[in-house]
Amino acid sequence: MRLLGLETRALTAGLIFSLGTLGAASSQAADTYTVGVEASFPPWAYVEGGEYKGIAIDAMEKIAEDQGLDIEFKDLPFPSLIPALSAEKIDILATGLTVTEQRAKVIDFTIPWWETNDVIVVPKDSDLNVFTAVCCGATVGVQGGSSQKAWMEANVTNSDIDVNLKSYDSYVTAITDMLNGRISAVDVDDTSAQEYINEGRPVKLAGKIFIRAPLALAVSKGDPQGLLAKLNQGIVNLAESGEWATIVHNYIPGVTVPSVPGKMPEYVDTYRKPVAGLPDLGN
Amino acid sequence: MDIYDVLLRDFPFLLKGLGVALVLLAALLALGFVIGLTICLIQLYGPRTRFVQWPLKVYERIFRGVPIIIMLFIFYYGLAGIFDISSFAAAILALGFRSGAYQSQIFRSAFQSIPAGQMTAARASGMTLTQAIRWILFPQAIRHAIGPWTNEFSSEIKETSLAYVIGVVELTRQAHYIITSTQGNVLTVFAVVALLYFIVNKAGNSGLYWLEARLAVPGFEKRQ
Repeated sequence: MRLLGLETRALTAGLIFSLGTLGAASSQAADTYTVGVEASFPPWAYVEGGEYKGIAIDAMEKIAEDQGLDIEFKDLPFPSLIPALSAEKIDILATGLTVTEQRAKVIDFTIPWWETNDVIVVPKDSDLNVFTAVCCGATVGVQGGSSQKAWMEANVTNSDIDVNLKSYDSYVTAITDMLNGRISAVDVDDTSAQEYINEGRPVKLAGKIFIRAPLALAVSKGDPQGLLAKLNQGIVNLAESGEWATIVHNYIPGVTVPSVPGKMPEYVDTYRKPVAGLPDLGN
Repeated sequence: MDIYDVLLRDFPFLLKGLGVALVLLAALLALGFVIGLTICLIQLYGPRTRFVQWPLKVYERIFRGVPIIIMLFIFYYGLAGIFDISSFAAAILALGFRSGAYQSQIFRSAFQSIPAGQMTAARASGMTLTQAIRWILFPQAIRHAIGPWTNEFSSEIKETSLAYVIGVVELTRQAHYIITSTQGNVLTVFAVVALLYFIVNKAGNSGLYWLEARLAVPGFEKRQ
């Protein structure tokens, strides 16, 4: 068709194409499970040279292989991951995900496969220690929706300690902002912080907060796909075969690998006896 | 590996992200064009009854008045209970519906800038309403609309950068990948990304200005 002296075929083709994508989107293979990751969260999950990498990525692939699951990864920003799992847009959440009481109410956790403590990161030339960095009107950066943010809110900003929290969409931008001088310290998990220091960035650890937070995979509440038992078994198999330690040391050389399963907090309902897939375990 | 080597190595992925952004842009503008033109024609020449006009007004107010990031969340998570929608489709719908609301106003002002006497004259010489719109008003209005429409193009290419919040891996998200896998370099990476957006924007605007000049009817130009 000619309109205004111009071919409109291109426009029509564009429209048909976009309608085509809309249709194709909803016809996903039913037995492929979507694994949601935050691919800007090294060393757990990130993209390098166009490929997914990281501890959670490699481990999830091994577990899927072991349990005969067909998986595909989907990247979503961290604050979107738990809502996506609740809305069943993704089937499994695999990132450096901390087990917390609040999260346990909306998603189901697998057995813990890692344990982190939080650290306070300050610029290399700063003379702040863990007490002076988190007090006296200081502004501390955290990743939005993270367990560090929740911990700071529960234990620091709600007490009479005078600290302001500032949320960022990633701890990397938080640390960049700290190096720009806008905030004085960043609260982040020790695994990520170590990764950052290993890259040779001008930061140091001011101190550690020993919270022994368990990390785990998660599925939608109520486990609608029946994945929990398979994932739990997969995690145990991975740890027992020694592959788990290999993967971890590939990304964080020399780190002590916590025993699997780690500490299982009582407030998580999927940790009550018997744990799915592992009947001998549980609180 | 320093950041420039990484940028060089990952440049194809930035371009791939740009490609995703451009397909999203083309789809949302096309959807917005159809919705916008339809709303505009019904508002100006459709039945004047409230049952028709009110819903259109409500649609336009809502989509112009709600932040796009909220619309993206509503379309991606909110519709999840009704039917399974992919990130990309949700982004097209959220951005396209909103663009439709804006474009309806661009077209409305373009149609209204044509002297009312032309419609009267067309009807008086025996044309039906549809014929008058199709052959007299539309060819002029669409030419007038190109100028303001470049604005819509420019703002939408930038809005596509928000689609990453619902998992569309477009240019900005690809840039995040580089920043986080190298643990920094925010300024360098985003400078390159800003340049890419700028080039697309400039090319698109130049193309639209060329189109405007090419379609101009002597004696009816809007721009001198």
